[in-house]
Amino acid sequence: MVRYAMAIDLTRCMGCRACVEACKVENNTPQGIFWMWVFRYEEGNYPNSKIRYMPRPCQHCDNAPCTKVCPVGARFKREDGLVLTDVNRCIGCRYCEVACPYGVNYFNWKKPWKNQYYDWGEEGLPYRNPDHEIEYEGRLVSGGNHFVGVMGKCTFCVHRLVKGLKPACVANCPVNVFSFGDLDDPNSEVSKAIADKNHFRLQVELGTEPKVYYLGAPLDPRVLRRPLDSTREEVNP
Amino acid sequence: MAKITRRQFVKAAGLGVGAAIAARLVPEDYWDSLFRSDRGSSSTASGEEKKYSTCWIGKQDCAIIARVVDGRIVKLEGHPADPRTRGTICPKGMAQVMAVYDPHRLKAPLRRTNAKGQQGTWEEITWDEALTTLADRIVEARSKGDKYLVWQKGRSKGVPFYDKAFVEASGAITLQNGAYCSDAGYRAGEYTVGRNGVLHPDFKYCNYLVSWGWNIVNAGGNKSCWIQWNRLLVEARERGMKVTVVDPSIHGSGPHADRWLPIKPGTDLAFFLALANALIAKDFVDKEYLTKHTNAASLVKQDGTILTDISAKEVVWDSLSGAAVPFDTPNIDPALTGEYTVGTDTLKPGYQLFVDHLADKTPAWAAGICGLTEEQILAVALDLGVNARIGSTITIDGVDVPYRPVAIHGFHVTQQELGFQASRAALLVMMILGAIERAGGQFIDYTPTNASEFDSWNNVTVKDSGYNVFLKDSKFYPINSNSSGIVAQVMNNPSKYDFQESELPEVLIVHMSNPLLSFPAGQNDLAESYTKFKFIAVIDPWVSETADYFADVILPAALLEKFEGPFTISNTYVSATTIRQPLIDPMFESRGEIDIYLDLCEKAGILFGSGGYLDRLNAGLQLVDPHRLALDTKPAARDIFDKWAKSMGVPDGIEYYVKNGVRPKETYTPEKYYGSIMTPAYGGLRHRLYGEALGRYRNTMQSMGVDKMYYQDYTPFPTWRALTKDLSPPDYDLTLISSKRIELKQSRSTSLPLLKELVPKQKLFINTATAGAKGISDNDQVYVESHNALTGETRRVQTVAQLVEFVRPDTVVLSHHFGQWVHPVARDSGPTPNSLFFAGDGYTTNTADQSFHVNVRVWKVV
Repeated sequence: MVRYAMAIDLTRCMGCRACVEACKVENNTPQGIFWMWVFRYEEGNYPNSKIRYMPRPCQHCDNAPCTKVCPVGARFKREDGLVLTDVNRCIGCRYCEVACPYGVNYFNWKKPWKNQYYDWGEEGLPYRNPDHEIEYEGRLVSGGNHFVGVMGKCTFCVHRLVKGLKPACVANCPVNVFSFGDLDDPNSEVSKAIADKNHFRLQVELGTEPKVYYLGAPLDPRVLRRPLDSTREEVNP
Repeated sequence: MAKITRRQFVKAAGLGVGAAIAARLVPEDYWDSLFRSDRGSSSTASGEEKKYSTCWIGKQDCAIIARVVDGRIVKLEGHPADPRTRGTICPKGMAQVMAVYDPHRLKAPLRRTNAKGQQGTWEEITWDEALTTLADRIVEARSKGDKYLVWQKGRSKGVPFYDKAFVEASGAITLQNGAYCSDAGYRAGEYTVGRNGVLHPDFKYCNYLVSWGWNIVNAGGNKSCWIQWNRLLVEARERGMKVTVVDPSIHGSGPHADRWLPIKPGTDLAFFLALANALIAKDFVDKEYLTKHTNAASLVKQDGTILTDISAKEVVWDSLSGAAVPFDTPNIDPALTGEYTVGTDTLKPGYQLFVDHLADKTPAWAAGICGLTEEQILAVALDLGVNARIGSTITIDGVDVPYRPVAIHGFHVTQQELGFQASRAALLVMMILGAIERAGGQFIDYTPTNASEFDSWNNVTVKDSGYNVFLKDSKFYPINSNSSGIVAQVMNNPSKYDFQESELPEVLIVHMSNPLLSFPAGQNDLAESYTKFKFIAVIDPWVSETADYFADVILPAALLEKFEGPFTISNTYVSATTIRQPLIDPMFESRGEIDIYLDLCEKAGILFGSGGYLDRLNAGLQLVDPHRLALDTKPAARDIFDKWAKSMGVPDGIEYYVKNGVRPKETYTPEKYYGSIMTPAYGGLRHRLYGEALGRYRNTMQSMGVDKMYYQDYTPFPTWRALTKDLSPPDYDLTLISSKRIELKQSRSTSLPLLKELVPKQKLFINTATAGAKGISDNDQVYVESHNALTGETRRVQTVAQLVEFVRPDTVVLSHHFGQWVHPVARDSGPTPNSLFFAGDGYTTNTADQSFHVNVRVWKVV
């Protein structure tokens, strides 16, 4: 059985957010909702200013706190490692959002067609991706724009994996920041990336067993840093 | 997914709008208006298709693959065969799918119904009416003479064949945006080393890069897609290349800089002179290159001209024979230094004059000007000198190539008062090191080819009167970068430039350009000049701010629903060709530009016959028999590309591109890539260390009585002088620079909600300590007021402060993407810095290039 994981090479990242946009268009996530986000930080004082970037998808934890608190079994972990949300089951209680230490859950506040930057009418987004209307392993889990009042988050592009494609963010990174694949296969891109470079994972002390590995010097987003870009409030006022 | 009928769309649109509570509504006629075109429906069901085209939104034209489902573009991805992007696409390219479906696109041609100079009110007209109106104006302007029609375009996409054909067939005066980009640098490259471009490294072998400005990460390089630049940069750094960033702000390149020199804006020329001084002092000089491939050894007379022999060949001093001989005499040892007597003249080699020129331009001298330390400048000089490995070679693909793995990256070094000479100074530094077109060294053009301007900039006949509206060959700007700012000066004050009102142009076509917003002083000096045109037509997918205030008619252009190109896509080592192909039928009633120009030319009577538009297309696309266009039949855009492909030796013609998208073209061989091992070396050009013609123009300009501000920078060697902007009073204590945000492209992308949410509004980056001293906190509203040092005029905007550490304490930064007022998504996002810059004397300088620096004061709004 495959065991999916992702490696993110912080030494290569340009902070351009091509991954963010690829995710948004691929998954049709609503306005202000970012299943992939790239943080930009500044540390130090002039002239020793240091700027760092950090892409942040769902960490697809092996010991995912979000699955444990879901009262209806909508949030679940598959055998292949993907942590997914069954939007037909989700009741929008947002417990998963509270439980997750990584801040990757986003709640759909508005009707799907009304929060795609424009109100497109009930027919919805002109460039909507038909792959999200399909169930995977019998559950409606892909895409970010089904119903008002449900949770959404990164799926590692479950709908692309079944086609043999990499997640949209991985496929679109201009400077190959991402490696993705089977952790059990020593020859997979992700296994090789982890073997070749120093790496760390976010908040491992919580016992979440995240399946996203960061390559490069450790960066803990909880330590106070100056964010260089827009806050969530500015993005979605 | 079920096919949606037109009826359902109309119904849904009605329901949706009626019940809507979201902030931005799609106009009531949105879905309906999609189908008004008589060219068929955009929602034609065709299942799922994979279609090829090229990206439209960015600086370049990257090959893309579209996923089209039931006639709808669902996603655009990079084409893996594009050597630059290798299957990826930048955030702008990814988000542009929303631009295609933008409900605020122009839906039909519009005619103004109110007076110009204010926000427009419009009525829809037919294409026939719109084109006839414009064609009549073109005919009228042409009947009066060749100076009354002006055609202005933003960045031309691909081979500008259909643009050029229109300009040639109509006789229009052309304005481009280059003067605001890197044109002054192009002029320096063309004049100095005969290459059309600005400075960039041979990334594959470079070991030490001096990267000037924000562009290394945020904007790529000239002639380059932003993605490709970063790919090459990351790979080079992983190979071990070290990067020194020279920039008042380290915002974009921060994580990819090994060292940061926060230089004072506009002082780069002094910095480069000090590097040259230090390199010569430490004897990091490639004498072999200088004597063999440049005019460094040419003997210069005391009047500044180069000594020539009877056949007009430059003369050098041969140390072996102790005599003055033509530079190409075999078996000589040309002297680079010393002083020699020939006849009654005392002469020095150009290099000796350069050494004299640099004598007091030490790192200590530059440190005070540049706001750096002597040690910082010296360290860069040493890094360059040691890493240049002067005299070494490397074997590439079995060929020995001189190896000088050091380079400067200087894309927008030109956007300053001394831009042309600063670029030239950077080139001279690399010439001292012998790094021009050597392995790992300094590149200018992609595939080194001789620029015709190498000769033309050396032989300008400086005119005293009778120039065109951008003052080509004039005593004001003899080397000319064709700037809209100049046109504005002439239009606003014709007598100053010896123009009669009756000689001013009357009809303007603005194609995919938004000067009011995107150009410095657009809403001030340029806007004033636009009131002088009798008729203005705009070709654009949206109502631009320029159209809003000044267009008489607007013609809606298509985005990805058209043929355009062809495009050479090169990563500087491998190249391919591609074209833009329509992914769907044109949205609303928009049309591709080629179709627009074909019809316009037909109506204006300049389509058919010899010298007509079709004839010019044949020449521009280099079509060969039997694939030339007939001169009496209007072709479809697709046929034009079919004939182009067949003329290029592709038997399947356009079908090849329909099936594959990208066609591999060439892998550059060392003999074609590295100048000194070409045959002949450097295409036979002798690089100009000594700029004889520049001194000549200076003398001519002076004798014609122009003000010193015009001729002062025409010096044979780049010469530092105090900046005009620093004549502003001391309370204008900060320098404003503008910058690019990595997700955005000029002003156009800000109206895309997908990108706008990443960078929602303008912010003034100001150093924390500076802000503290002025009582400014994060997110405070502030005024930024600029001052024109020559006229005393002030310009003011209000924006929000963001306190940062990545910018010099005496410098503030605004990004140039904001200021719109037409598009509902883009408006209310804050001001554009272009409203604070000045065009004209002191700010439009030297080769008619534009300064993006101005002194400002900043205070908190209370």
